[in-house]
Amino acid sequence: MGNTELAPTEVKNPVRRRRKRLNSDGKWGLLMVAPYLVHFIVFVLGSLIASLYFSFSEYDILNPPKWTGLDNYTKLFNEPIFWKALGNTLYFAVLFVPLQTILALILASALNQKLRGLKLFRLAHFLPVISSWTVILYVSDAFFNTRFGLANDFLTRMGLDPQTWLQDPQLVIPLLVLIAVWKGIGYIMVIFLAGLQNVPSDVYEAAEIDGAGTFRKFLNITVPLISGTTFLVVVLSTISTFQAFEQIYVMTGGAQDATAAGGPNNSSLVLMIYLYREGFSFMRMGYASAIAWVLFVLLFILTIVQVTLQKKWVHYE
Amino acid sequence: MKHLAFKRGALILAVLLFSSILLSACSSSDKEKEVTPSGEAVQEQVELRLGYYSSAQTDAKMQELVKKFQDSHPNIKVKTESSPYGQFFQKLDTQIAAGNAPDVWLSDGVLVPKYAERGALKDLTDLIGKDLKHDEYYGLDFNKDTNGKYWGVPQGIQIGVLYYNKDMFDAAKVAYPTTDWTWDDLKAAAEKLTLDSNGKYATDAAFDGKKVKEYGLTFFSITEGWMPVLKSFGGGVLDPTLQKSIINSPENKKALDWIVDGMNRHLFPTPADLKSFQSNMAPFPSKAAAMRIGIYARTMDANNAGLNYDVTLLPKGPDGKRFSPVIANSWVINKKAENQVGDAAWEWVKFWATTDEAQKEWASLGEAVPVKKSVANSEQFLNGKPANKQAFLDSFEFAGTLDVNAVWSEWVGKFNESINRAFQGEIPADQALSTADKDVQQVLNEFYKK
Repeated sequence: MGNTELAPTEVKNPVRRRRKRLNSDGKWGLLMVAPYLVHFIVFVLGSLIASLYFSFSEYDILNPPKWTGLDNYTKLFNEPIFWKALGNTLYFAVLFVPLQTILALILASALNQKLRGLKLFRLAHFLPVISSWTVILYVSDAFFNTRFGLANDFLTRMGLDPQTWLQDPQLVIPLLVLIAVWKGIGYIMVIFLAGLQNVPSDVYEAAEIDGAGTFRKFLNITVPLISGTTFLVVVLSTISTFQAFEQIYVMTGGAQDATAAGGPNNSSLVLMIYLYREGFSFMRMGYASAIAWVLFVLLFILTIVQVTLQKKWVHYE
Repeated sequence: MKHLAFKRGALILAVLLFSSILLSACSSSDKEKEVTPSGEAVQEQVELRLGYYSSAQTDAKMQELVKKFQDSHPNIKVKTESSPYGQFFQKLDTQIAAGNAPDVWLSDGVLVPKYAERGALKDLTDLIGKDLKHDEYYGLDFNKDTNGKYWGVPQGIQIGVLYYNKDMFDAAKVAYPTTDWTWDDLKAAAEKLTLDSNGKYATDAAFDGKKVKEYGLTFFSITEGWMPVLKSFGGGVLDPTLQKSIINSPENKKALDWIVDGMNRHLFPTPADLKSFQSNMAPFPSKAAAMRIGIYARTMDANNAGLNYDVTLLPKGPDGKRFSPVIANSWVINKKAENQVGDAAWEWVKFWATTDEAQKEWASLGEAVPVKKSVANSEQFLNGKPANKQAFLDSFEFAGTLDVNAVWSEWVGKFNESINRAFQGEIPADQALSTADKDVQQVLNEFYKK
């Protein structure tokens, strides 16, 4: 009896003790994450549910929301401007993501060498990253102002016609992409630099013995070995293009006239600007919430696609 | 990471909502009885929340006037809430949503119907009828809706006239504008005043329209752009019910042709040309335009720039019709402000409108035409630059609002979208008008026909 009684207690005791300790740990843990949890529930989960509810109702902020079912979504999908905004957003992404990724990789490889004044070069490329969009606006205005800008001055000196740059519906998105790449490239470059420094040098040495040139080494060793970093960069850049707001807002007229943000003939109207304009300028918070949810679903799908494709090209050592 | 996208929109909204709910919870004890040490209630003490948008300069003056008001109304304690224009209205919307808006606030004239028609404002018709004499004021009617109800009392009035730079007229040897001018006379003068970077005027065959250094007339959007032209040509945007578009009319076509022609010939900047200036308002004060359609507030920029300029009436349309655009920035009262607080709010509005001193003090900022006729017609207002300030007062005779209704900013956006394309020469004027007509009517229907 004594034995049989002892045996289970021996087994039971540590379990009970462990569970008890876990409990008190759990309480501490919970207490520690409480501020975050409260923040998450109130400001993330709460607003998520609220915006989902608003997206099915008519809500002008001043009066309580009125449930209208799928009206906002029906209107959204029948609205030519929504499709235009979606098209512009995708156009922006298709230009921006590869351009920034490739240029940043080339730049990072160049700045991964042992050069004189290396820190200065790295710093110079990082400066636009930490500047605000308003500052970037003034710098790019010095270039692309139609009256006083360097670009037009250069063109007229060459005997060519001056351009209207950001006011030209054809040029506006490529120009915005160019400026965004200039601003963002330093950040991506730093990520790539970290990736490059993890590539073991013995692989290069082995390749050199086999007679591979610089270009071959870059293409056959560097590119595959940092594909994990590249994947991260591509996902990050894609998400950031769908959230592009400030740049387009300040550069295409929103700072002066909120209803005009979106450029000439809505040619630079992206989804975030469309959302802002409908929600905050025209007081259609319900409709704006519907745009937000469509944007979310879109990004969700895109990210899943990227994660799935990752298996095909990302190489982990 | 995935939910960052909608977090932005939803989060901003949620943060604002929650913070205003918190705020409203904290301010439930607005009304308190002031009690003397002996325990006697002397006078009902009221706290009045006053909201306004301001700059550093106007804020100081407003505080001065609030102090004067409190001195003459010892039972009212004013709590002011002010912020710069854009933030003020963004905050206001969430405050109204949370039932926590100021008791009385300053509204941009074009936004009064937005709040009135969405049920946020108190109907002031009876109070105005009781306490204010119509003849003594400019522009009480600018806040009257189509049912004859009044929703605000003007705080200061913006009214459009024609500004001209005398030095630029002298340099081009063009006679100053007169009150007899038609829009065609204006364009003929503009041609002689438009100068390219090679020093050639637009009348010269060698004039290069792609390199304009000085425009004849600067032209910006609605108030200082198409609205006065459309209306004096006999057209307009909305019918008197303010629920129906009248955009697609022969009069508007003529007016739009007049504008587009001026832009094609580079006598006026197109919307794209305007973007090369740091502000849409910059061409006139920076001497890059000889004339502008301008409201009263623009005298401040022009004076600060030290321009040698004057003002006159806006030109007549082809049939002799004139139109001067008006924006009456107004005091409005929160619908929820009742009893003593409501009374106190009206006391403030009355103090502002009826007290000569308040009117004069505000007029000294040079930011708006005083609401009270006696003050507007006094030497104190009429003296100073520009010499012909009388033109602002004379313009009241043919003044009108900007067809303002509850969805004003939205239909203006739609309208601009179409006609700006005509201004840029992308589409012909009649196509711009028929598209704008359709788009604007859709905006109106969505709000009114439900």
